[in-house]
Amino acid sequence: MGQVIRLTDRNFEQEVLESQVPVLVDFWASWCLPCKAAEPILAELAVQHDGRLKVGKLNVDRNPKTRQHYQIMGVPTFALFRAGEMVQRRTGSQSRQQLLRLLEEVL
Amino acid sequence: MKLHNADKTCWNCPAIDLAGKVDFRACGQSVERFEKSLGEDEVYVMAECKRRPELGLFDPMGITFEECPEWVESPFGYMLRDMRVMIPGIDGYLGWALALWLGRLGFQVSGIDNYSRRDWVMERGAHTVVPIARMTERLQAAREVLGININFRRMDVTDRGRLREFIDEVKPEAIVHYAECPSAPYSMIDADHAVEVQRNNVLGTLGLLFIMRDAVPETSLLKLGTMGEYGTPLTGRPLFEGMFPADAVLHWEGREWSMGGELTPRDPVSFYHVSKVQDTFNIYEACKYWWLRSYDIMQGVIYGVYTEQVVADPRLRTRFDIDEWFGTVINRFVAQAVIGIPLTIYGAGEQMRGFIGLQDAMQCMTRLICSPPEPGQYGVVNQMSGYYSIRELAEVVARVGRRDFDLPVKIQRVENPRVEADRHPFEPIYERLPDEFGFEPQVSPEEEVYRMFELLTRPDIKSRIQQKSHLILPKTWWSGDKRQVETLEIWDEE
Repeated sequence: MGQVIRLTDRNFEQEVLESQVPVLVDFWASWCLPCKAAEPILAELAVQHDGRLKVGKLNVDRNPKTRQHYQIMGVPTFALFRAGEMVQRRTGSQSRQQLLRLLEEVL
Repeated sequence: MKLHNADKTCWNCPAIDLAGKVDFRACGQSVERFEKSLGEDEVYVMAECKRRPELGLFDPMGITFEECPEWVESPFGYMLRDMRVMIPGIDGYLGWALALWLGRLGFQVSGIDNYSRRDWVMERGAHTVVPIARMTERLQAAREVLGININFRRMDVTDRGRLREFIDEVKPEAIVHYAECPSAPYSMIDADHAVEVQRNNVLGTLGLLFIMRDAVPETSLLKLGTMGEYGTPLTGRPLFEGMFPADAVLHWEGREWSMGGELTPRDPVSFYHVSKVQDTFNIYEACKYWWLRSYDIMQGVIYGVYTEQVVADPRLRTRFDIDEWFGTVINRFVAQAVIGIPLTIYGAGEQMRGFIGLQDAMQCMTRLICSPPEPGQYGVVNQMSGYYSIRELAEVVARVGRRDFDLPVKIQRVENPRVEADRHPFEPIYERLPDEFGFEPQVSPEEEVYRMFELLTRPDIKSRIQQKSHLILPKTWWSGDKRQVETLEIWDEE
């Protein structure tokens, strides 16, 4: 635990929708510079909130099914899932503070 | 210990064939069009391996470099067996050194050059003080002495037709693009020179991007930028590696925005540096539009004469310029020390710059070649092994010259012909190469300066410096003036 999980179309249901703890999902793409920039902050959050929050990344180009399902139209999109539902969603680069605010209701 | 690129997968590998298997329209703004064509069926990204077609279609994330038999261990990380690397600009100071370096490691090296660096230097009336052989002789010596076969074609990087043919023939798996004019003062001589530098650099790179899109979209482009693209902001803002980190925030009128991943401001310091900034944007866009992959390498000021290969035979030496246009600062200092001209520092000499020795630069390039970016990734690294003020470096050269070579070295401050801050804060960030690519600098400035003295004090080379000593002090002013700078002060001893 404490690591950023690589999410795919195949494991999304099990890792996110059926998760016992809330999940922060970063929808990202390799051509997206703000997505790359967010990596260290996500890694930090995964360690800091280990056990209370899961952090995962889903590459939208490699996983078209999930992207299509959630209609991700821009990256990065940060989405918070709880009990199988998407409860928060922000598109565009987010600072550490902004991400923490996004997580407020579950932490 | 785990090698730096062990966990990379076929997704990063140039031997992957994604064409026709990934819908590249998914990228950026075209995403909506892609959704419509997708239908209800489950679609996963599949790829084929160009080297092992018998594997058929497979998940490109499934095999790591560590697991793949095509990737073999080397001192610089896993290396793609017989990897084909093309070096446009192979006849230059860096291009030739890298060709030999990679050839010895087992890379299949090809390259092009139209000898414009030789022409530019000759046009200024200067010459490389370390004599270099003609290309035919260089290639023959590489074969005889090092056992390397280099596939060379004489051609201009802006000749898109011929370059396309050569790239189609070789199908390089990485392209290290050194075919640019690397001189700030040369671009500031007059309109003709500024235009020529920008034409060669900007249009050469732009044309290459189109060729890569059409012929080798999975190949990584390693393109040389310069730390000079950033300038030296007087606020002291750190010089990040190309883009802001995620926790950089813009505050304005009580609101805030994350700046994470946005390109940092560029403040180039000559028309040459502007050409590099223009390249940055062209490459960034090409990665975004066409899923090309590139590392833009912001190299500090390069210096030195040594790699194991270039010293193996006089015919394998790489060039070494000391004139005001093509001589980089430490290289010029050592030449001045050898012939008894006080080392010339411009203005206060408190300008801070990042530096990297030749051998360390080769190490960085090899590590980057071995660890290609992902499709669409435009990555930036600041390539330097340390930073110093120009004055500190002059003192290093003076110290080594006096102590080890018994030379009476003086230092002089002269008028600064450039438009730049003489005193400024400087906080470069250069963490990616060590942290992500395992780069460890091997050479200290003092050590490399010593090797430079050893070579440049040889009578034949010393005499070649003396022949061109009148071309070391600058006459090219950023204002357009053409007059020799005047001495402001001379220091005798430390």
